[in-house]
Amino acid sequence: METLSFPTLTVGLIAWIAGIVLSLRLPDQKQRRGVAAASALLSAVCALTTGLQVQRAHGMHLSDPWLGFLGADVKGALILTLLSAITAGLAILAPRRDCGGRALAGLLLIGASAQIAYCASNLRWFAIGWVLSVLPVCLSFFGGGLNLRPVTGFITVSTALGVGAMFALGSSPGAGVFALVLVAVAFRKGLFPVHSWLISAFERGPLLATGLLFNTHFGAALLTRPEVSPLFEKYPTALDLVSYSALFTALVTSIRCFTERTPRRLIALICLSQASFILAGLVTSNEAGVTGAWVHWLVVVTASTGLIAILRILEVRVMDVVKPEGQLGLAVRAPRLATGFLVCSLALIGLPGTLGYCAEDLLFHGALSSHPFLGVVLPLATAFNAINLFRLYSLLFLGVLPKRVIDVQDALNRERWPLVACILILVASGIAPGRIITAMSPASVTHHSGTSTPLSHP
Amino acid sequence: MPAEILLKSLILLPCGVFLLISTLWLLHDHLSENATARFHGWTHALMVAITIALGWELWRSSEHVIHADFGEWFRVGDYHFRLAFILDRLSYPFVVLVTVLTSLVGSFSVRYLHRDPGFQRFFLLLRLFTVGSLVVFTADSLDSLVAGWELVGITSVLLIGFFQYRREPVRNALRVFATYRIADLNILIAVFLAHHQFHGSAWNELFTGSWPNSVPVPTGSVAGAIALLLVLAACGKSAQGPFLGWLARAMEGPTPSSAIFYGAISVHAGAYLLLRVEPLIRASAAATTVLIGVGLITAVVSTLIHRTSPDAKTSLAYACQTQLGIIFMEIGFGFTNLALIHAVGHAVVRTMQFLRTPSMLSDYHRVHAASGGNLGPTGGQYESILPQPIQIALYRIAFGRAFYDVVVDRFLIAGAKAVSRSLSWFEPNWLQTPHETAAPSASAPVSDRPARH
Repeated sequence: METLSFPTLTVGLIAWIAGIVLSLRLPDQKQRRGVAAASALLSAVCALTTGLQVQRAHGMHLSDPWLGFLGADVKGALILTLLSAITAGLAILAPRRDCGGRALAGLLLIGASAQIAYCASNLRWFAIGWVLSVLPVCLSFFGGGLNLRPVTGFITVSTALGVGAMFALGSSPGAGVFALVLVAVAFRKGLFPVHSWLISAFERGPLLATGLLFNTHFGAALLTRPEVSPLFEKYPTALDLVSYSALFTALVTSIRCFTERTPRRLIALICLSQASFILAGLVTSNEAGVTGAWVHWLVVVTASTGLIAILRILEVRVMDVVKPEGQLGLAVRAPRLATGFLVCSLALIGLPGTLGYCAEDLLFHGALSSHPFLGVVLPLATAFNAINLFRLYSLLFLGVLPKRVIDVQDALNRERWPLVACILILVASGIAPGRIITAMSPASVTHHSGTSTPLSHP
Repeated sequence: MPAEILLKSLILLPCGVFLLISTLWLLHDHLSENATARFHGWTHALMVAITIALGWELWRSSEHVIHADFGEWFRVGDYHFRLAFILDRLSYPFVVLVTVLTSLVGSFSVRYLHRDPGFQRFFLLLRLFTVGSLVVFTADSLDSLVAGWELVGITSVLLIGFFQYRREPVRNALRVFATYRIADLNILIAVFLAHHQFHGSAWNELFTGSWPNSVPVPTGSVAGAIALLLVLAACGKSAQGPFLGWLARAMEGPTPSSAIFYGAISVHAGAYLLLRVEPLIRASAAATTVLIGVGLITAVVSTLIHRTSPDAKTSLAYACQTQLGIIFMEIGFGFTNLALIHAVGHAVVRTMQFLRTPSMLSDYHRVHAASGGNLGPTGGQYESILPQPIQIALYRIAFGRAFYDVVVDRFLIAGAKAVSRSLSWFEPNWLQTPHETAAPSASAPVSDRPARH
């Protein structure tokens, strides 16, 4: 098996671990924030270097020379780079109250778990990554206590199901085991009708950490594993099942938004709806749809993180944001946050000029080719999400500023740069999407042919 | 200079200016009003010069068509998105409208919005709108047209909510945005169907020959469905038929944006789309019937409402809808040249009318004084020849604005909300709010440090 010329994945993992340890031990908040951001950035650089090496090797899967159980292909490296960069961004812009040692360590642990899962050479390591990702929430790294108990219960059940399914898959892959895998995916991804725990986690949990956990998309990643892909060929009805399940989730959550007024719940429902498109695209079994799903994956990760971060920034500045009674008119005081929110929203729903447009264009074309009904309903769900995102934007940023809200700061310097980076990623890759789409495309071609999968060995 | 480069620079110029100014703004570097005005003046003077040069090149060319190809935007297997543009006898009048009218409206806005807190925002959105509308009118395929179409839509909505510190503009912007999104579904599905059935959506893949003598390549029921979907999409953009009610709501924006969007360019984008795909519509009896029917009904209803509207801008909005209804009918009957002349003439006159509305009373007093105080009533009241009960019924319909908003509120919005509420059944209470007293973590510190920021 080909290996990387330098153990970048090992270095990345060590950076995560060092970051976690130092975040827990350092007493000073500034130092903690700096160390956490630096370790996540170093991991991002390592993932990027891995990606470049893989690209030079014509997209071949390369293993790490030191830790043989880690390896990556172009897609895995690209997603990992983005997730690591986003973890760094969150560590930089997190409000002070979210920068406790345990909270930062929790964020880094989720980032590290993503590296282990996305680079895992077998299902055992993928399962370890899955378990590590939920540990910070289950062990109350972010506080929450009693308030989060039902969510923690759901997460534990979904993790148990996932781990059970993965171990069973390793021994005897049959119909029952495949059904268990699908149930685990449904729980983890929050597919209808088991979507409510994720909304609750967004509503009452730590927003930044929940957003990061949501954006790991381990459920979708599990379906693209080489151990799972052949089962779709053996049981083709599962493709329809997953596809319609994703479709219902997208539609139901987008309709559900119409009667929601709480920003956190609105964001949760919209992100859930848009993220369901990824699954719908992955099971289209055609090149355009699968590539669209992968590109949409990147869009959802970037844009939803931008939205979640801005919402959290506003929450700590203005208490009314938690449960607004009317429009808050914050654009007057925080125009840059408003612009960031608008651009991320528009990218998420596919505005031309952003990567979201290319992703949805490919996704809808692919969906229409495989399931005409899917191709019609997905744009409808996007339209509903667009309406609800604009409703949320107007709720937060437009209208009359309440009299008690006297002074709200616009984006601080440490908040501005991650947000500008987020916008730049969405816009620059939207104007020139060729390289990203090409990077996401070739492995997708063989996704359902059984000869190769995007996240593991060819 | 080759015509292709001219066409490319016409599209790229406002795009570059938009990106430059928005980056400056994000980096905290404000342009003064004077600098913005000068910048706008020079940019648009250059754009008008390029447009004139393009006109000359178009006239000189043997086929009266200019192509500009930016190459493939992206490709996945057989599916590719080609970024190509075209300037022909149909698109050139609309491009002239865009460059000339945005220049004029921009110059007007420099004084109109003087010292307004949203001065920079207005000019940024105006530039984005210029990019979007140029893309719509020069697109070489339905794919590219959709990209411009959506940019025009979003800038339009953001300008309706321009006075963001008032409730009504914000509410109306949301309603218009929702209408646009639902209407735009039709064009999206039409594009996907075109790709799915005919493996492309470029004009030269859908038609042979140049406008107005083009002949549709695809035929059959799917082609008819595409034509019908495009008619519905055009209805959304031009506030016709099922999307009748939004234009009056759009009047909440500043007058210059009302002039350029709802008097001139944005609403006529629907007419442009119909003119472009007219051969496809002509081949489908259902699409033609719907087009003529929608145009007729909207023209009649809108002219009635126009006569009972209490304020000038709303009245103008419905008058605009009336003319667009007539333009739709002209296209439906196949009078494409007449429809094109009508659309361009209407856009210019309506822009002038919108820009004069803030000083309408002053104008009236001046004319009144000039006539020595003997100003007679204007316009013939043709409806007075109808029997009185019919007059009253029509007046009621007109005064209630055809009860459009009531129907939408009671049946569509309330219905959607009822379905939404019923879906909450899948979110069990014990998972939602088991501890009502415990606030979300926004108010509670989640770290091991005391809460402060």
